[in-house]
Amino acid sequence: MIPLENYLVLSGILFSLGVYGVLSRRNAVLVLMSVELMLNAVSINFIAFSAYLDVTQITGVIFAIFVVAVAAAEIGLALAIVLRIFRNRSSINIDEAAELKW
Amino acid sequence: MSAEWAWLLAVIPACAFIVLALFGRSLPRQGDWLGVLTVTSILGLLIAIFTKTFGAKLPMLNAVEWTSIGDFSLSHGIAIDWITLIMLPVIIIVALMVNIFSIGYMRGEPRYSWYFAVLQLFVASMLLLVLADNLLLLYIAWELVGVCSFLLIGFYWEKRSAVEAAKKAFITTRVGDVGLLIGIILLWKATGTFNIHELISYVEHGELGGTTLFVSMLFIFLGAMGKSAQLPFHVWLPDAMEGPTPVSALIHAATMVVAGVYLVARLLPMFEAAGGMMLIITLVGLATAIYSGIVAFAQTDIKKVLAYSTVSQLGFMFVALGVGGIGAGMFHLFTHAFFKALLFLGAGSVILGTHHHQEMRNLGGLLRKMPITGITFAIGSLALMGLFPLAGFWSKETILSAVDYGPGSWAFILISIASIMTAFYTVRLFLRTFTGEPQDAAVAEKTHESSLIMTGPLIVLAIFSVFAGFFIFTDFSKAFGLPGGISELIYLHYPKHFSVHWDLVGYSMALVVIGTFFGVWFYWRGSTERSTKLAEWQPAIYHMIQRKFFFDELYQFVINRIILGISYVVSWFDRYVVNDTGVDGSGELTKYSGFVLKHLQTGKVPNYALAIVVGIIMLSLITLVLRG
Repeated sequence: MIPLENYLVLSGILFSLGVYGVLSRRNAVLVLMSVELMLNAVSINFIAFSAYLDVTQITGVIFAIFVVAVAAAEIGLALAIVLRIFRNRSSINIDEAAELKW
Repeated sequence: MSAEWAWLLAVIPACAFIVLALFGRSLPRQGDWLGVLTVTSILGLLIAIFTKTFGAKLPMLNAVEWTSIGDFSLSHGIAIDWITLIMLPVIIIVALMVNIFSIGYMRGEPRYSWYFAVLQLFVASMLLLVLADNLLLLYIAWELVGVCSFLLIGFYWEKRSAVEAAKKAFITTRVGDVGLLIGIILLWKATGTFNIHELISYVEHGELGGTTLFVSMLFIFLGAMGKSAQLPFHVWLPDAMEGPTPVSALIHAATMVVAGVYLVARLLPMFEAAGGMMLIITLVGLATAIYSGIVAFAQTDIKKVLAYSTVSQLGFMFVALGVGGIGAGMFHLFTHAFFKALLFLGAGSVILGTHHHQEMRNLGGLLRKMPITGITFAIGSLALMGLFPLAGFWSKETILSAVDYGPGSWAFILISIASIMTAFYTVRLFLRTFTGEPQDAAVAEKTHESSLIMTGPLIVLAIFSVFAGFFIFTDFSKAFGLPGGISELIYLHYPKHFSVHWDLVGYSMALVVIGTFFGVWFYWRGSTERSTKLAEWQPAIYHMIQRKFFFDELYQFVINRIILGISYVVSWFDRYVVNDTGVDGSGELTKYSGFVLKHLQTGKVPNYALAIVVGIIMLSLITLVLRG
């Protein structure tokens, strides 16, 4: 059986990649993909702990399903916004969409 | 039964006020008849109440719970006891006469229906004041009558002097009213009740006393002094004569100004228990009675003479209360209301008959032109002087015997002097106005007697001025339903029947004769020859009396120099420290810090994301360090 640590390392690497992507990418779609990576890293954690700590408890699995559902809803909304931004300014560089301030 | 009805006494005129204020101008005759109708109906109600109280156990109470907060519950109610039963007919009868008289006097004036509306509001508030069973309700009514007084003094608000008089009356009485409110709050803090009868029983059982009681009663007496124009708060009443004359008769002679006397009489057991208060009341009353008697000598406006006379007579009432003569004080209030209202309405008739002349130097010889006014005015004057057996005689007699019974000779001598003064200025007023030759031919030419609607109330009040004194006799007053007569309660602690002491009668008549003699000597047939000589003999003293001992100048000085000086400092502090530094300063600081800090907001998503990540890392580190 694969030890728990392997899953946690995988999830850590995925999460860090996601954070790096969010901070370094200027393309809005790539930023959103990085956010999805972070969410999936969290889901892996949930499922790994759920399977290793107590098999009868399915709380972690249910959480993971919720994360998937929320992520789907979120990405639908976010992509719609990105689409509108692209329609308006023919660019999805998030550095250029900086009007929402004082 | 009847105590529930008694609410209607105040409710009916209050409804009449609303109707007149809202629709008065569109009613036929601008609704002046509604005032007479209202007061007549409550007079009927009063007679019904008197038939119920006849022989009934007093006080009759009726209260409804108003609100309750935790343990504290407040109920407003009415209490009818013998003091109320004396006040009610005074207020209603004088109000009825004034309402009728005003129809003639105010004809053609602007804001005719508003005048009658405020008159009804006043009647409602005044009745509420004497019916209230607790100090809070009494205070509400107390302020309401003050507002009515303000509105009616300033009725001719086109005149600057009327506006200033109204303001002066309101502010001066306000000084006392604040005292009254503080006193009521102190009493409530000490006992937890506003109810007058409960408060009195607290005092009687010794649960309330000492310094607390003294301080509270001192503050309450301030309120009474303000309302009843006692020294040094008397300055507003003579100026209040700017109002229409019937108003002076109702509010500033017969009813509202005696509210202070009523309040002291109502709480007299508490004043008695507060050591030293009775002496203060006596001294204030004596000082006022003598001071205003002297000032009345040198006044030339007939309404001003009457105003100072009212102040002086209010002093008499306080003296009576101060020596424990609760019945004597209330009885003087009762008789004084009738003859002073008569004198004021007579003055109103003179003013209208001579086409707005009220300075004595323009009048004179009016008796021939205005016989009914002149004769009723004479009856009122004689009653005020205290001629046997008119109304004023009996009440002054009870005051003299109360003072004689009370603190001893010095007060007796002073009140006797004040009594002589009363006779003197009254004789002067009558002789200079109604006898001798007309001083101003042009005025005399146009003078005419007033119509029946004005002379009628004069005649009715003259009848009361003659007979009201007989209510001192138990059989007489019992026949009219008063509870056992006023006489049984002449002294607070020594209920005793009034009986005629012939030596005291002779003494009091001698005082009247002395005053009359001097009055006639100086002013026979309206001549001012001798009095002018007297004034020229000591011009400084005359000047001082004529200027009312410089009270107005003193107050003006205090206001201009001291109060306005303090106000200047306070306003400087408010403007520069509170407003510019405090209010504006904090606003400016917020604006400036926002201006500086807004550059942190770049609008760029990666910056925010970086801030989030850095924040989380910092928080994690802090948690790790703290956990060790």
